[in-house]
Amino acid sequence: MNTFDSMDLPLAIECKGISKHYPHFTLQDVDLSFEQGTVMGLVGPNGAGKSTILRIVMGLVTPDSGSVNVLGYALPKEQLAAKRNIGFVAEDMRLYETETIGFHMDFIKSIFDSWDEEYANILLRRLDLNKQQKVKGMSHGQRVKTTLLLTLARRPNLLVFDEPTTGLDPAVRKEVLDEMMNSLEDETHSILFSSHNTLDVEQISDYITFIYGGRIIESRNKEDFMDGWRRLRLTNLHNKSLPDLSNIKEIQQSGRLCTLTVNNYDDSIPQQFSDAGLQVDAIERLTLEEIFLGNVHCAKANNNKEAAL
Amino acid sequence: MSNSIISQLVRKDFLMMRKTIMIFCLISLLAILIVSMLFGRVPGWAFINLGFTLLIAPAFTCAIVVLMRTIVMEKEKSTQIFIMSLPITVKEFTLSKLLINLPLFFALWLVITMVAFYFAFGLGVFPYGSIPFITMIFLGIFVAYISTLCAGLIYQSISVTILAMCGFELGTPAYLWIITFWEPINSHVYGPHMVWNSAAITIVATQIFAAISMVLMTIYIQHKKQDFI
Repeated sequence: MNTFDSMDLPLAIECKGISKHYPHFTLQDVDLSFEQGTVMGLVGPNGAGKSTILRIVMGLVTPDSGSVNVLGYALPKEQLAAKRNIGFVAEDMRLYETETIGFHMDFIKSIFDSWDEEYANILLRRLDLNKQQKVKGMSHGQRVKTTLLLTLARRPNLLVFDEPTTGLDPAVRKEVLDEMMNSLEDETHSILFSSHNTLDVEQISDYITFIYGGRIIESRNKEDFMDGWRRLRLTNLHNKSLPDLSNIKEIQQSGRLCTLTVNNYDDSIPQQFSDAGLQVDAIERLTLEEIFLGNVHCAKANNNKEAAL
Repeated sequence: MSNSIISQLVRKDFLMMRKTIMIFCLISLLAILIVSMLFGRVPGWAFINLGFTLLIAPAFTCAIVVLMRTIVMEKEKSTQIFIMSLPITVKEFTLSKLLINLPLFFALWLVITMVAFYFAFGLGVFPYGSIPFITMIFLGIFVAYISTLCAGLIYQSISVTILAMCGFELGTPAYLWIITFWEPINSHVYGPHMVWNSAAITIVATQIFAAISMVLMTIYIQHKKQDFI
């Protein structure tokens, strides 16, 4: 569905047809891939399946079917080799409350030969953290920054973030996003992250994948994504019927004024409305948030149709 | 790498639990001291019951506290996601938890068993005929702990672990009742010589077999788990 077949660069992640069934949720036939050196943002409402995909990629959850390949390693068989090169930060990940940041640093250092002490100390200063501080007294932002430090200082090739900026104030959010971007030092480093915050995704992603109800709705290069969606403001002076275009994702009518949200936009679309006797007043680009809402609206409508059948 | 990560996880748990272990070791020493002070000053059966409780309580409490904090709380407090994001398999995670908990309880159990045997037989509180009986009781405690540990590892749930402990609490008197009144055991308890008859050997062998099989079964179940978070 959304595999980038034309890519020549080695893939950071390649998931083919992965499915996972839970009593109240099913991840269905997910294809997801992106090349090394890029950032993939997963966007979707709560319960869409973002965390399940990330946990499958981390080898923490085994899919019922499909194949998962991370940095060239097949999961779950080669999960140890893959996990040596993956850094994972999740919003619900906690550190040991009774211990200090220094304790956690020593622990990670004892496991990874790749631990970069100098970089860890730079991050400590940059993120304004104190090695002697116990996790128990930390704010949420400090906890996220600490897990980020522990992950980045071991220099993984792939960073997987599950809602890293959820619950952070704008200043800490910026710090976290900056450090995420700083970690992309060359074309071998990649990031896969999920977020509700479309601004974060828009800011740092090269590819965007929309998930809803356990299915991937759309997955594209960010520029194509942003280019593909338009809002058309029309005036329907003579009460003509709208052309039946599959591109139309949402229609809002208020008297003679009509607002359409269109996907896979091309320049022939306004002409088709003009030919149908409608006046095209404006063509606007959408923000990622508006695209997200448009996608959710379409997915809900499709689900309702399927349920009705 | 895998051996080294297991040892690093064991080391991490030990460092986190060392103060707790130290405190309970001191309490156990104090309990031994109190038991030795009570010897000869408290009548026979009262000494036996009091001594048994004083010896077993700190050791078992220590083992349960360590089990809860290193295994059950790992999941309850979401630190397990942090650990499992490291290059480690579920089997290695399980082995590391067994390697911190089992030797700790075994060491405490061995000390209290030796102390109990010293008081019971070295100082002549019990006749030698009850050696198999007392061995079965202490082995029963070991098996009960193993079952609690395995339940904790498999379910990582406070309620299931507490349920397993309740099973131990209720099961111990029932077990004692059965072996105390089972004729092949009962008939030699007050005798001057220890008798390892087929009934005694069967019980002890079953206990050892149960302990080993529960540990192996737990490793197998953990290894087969598809989802661990």
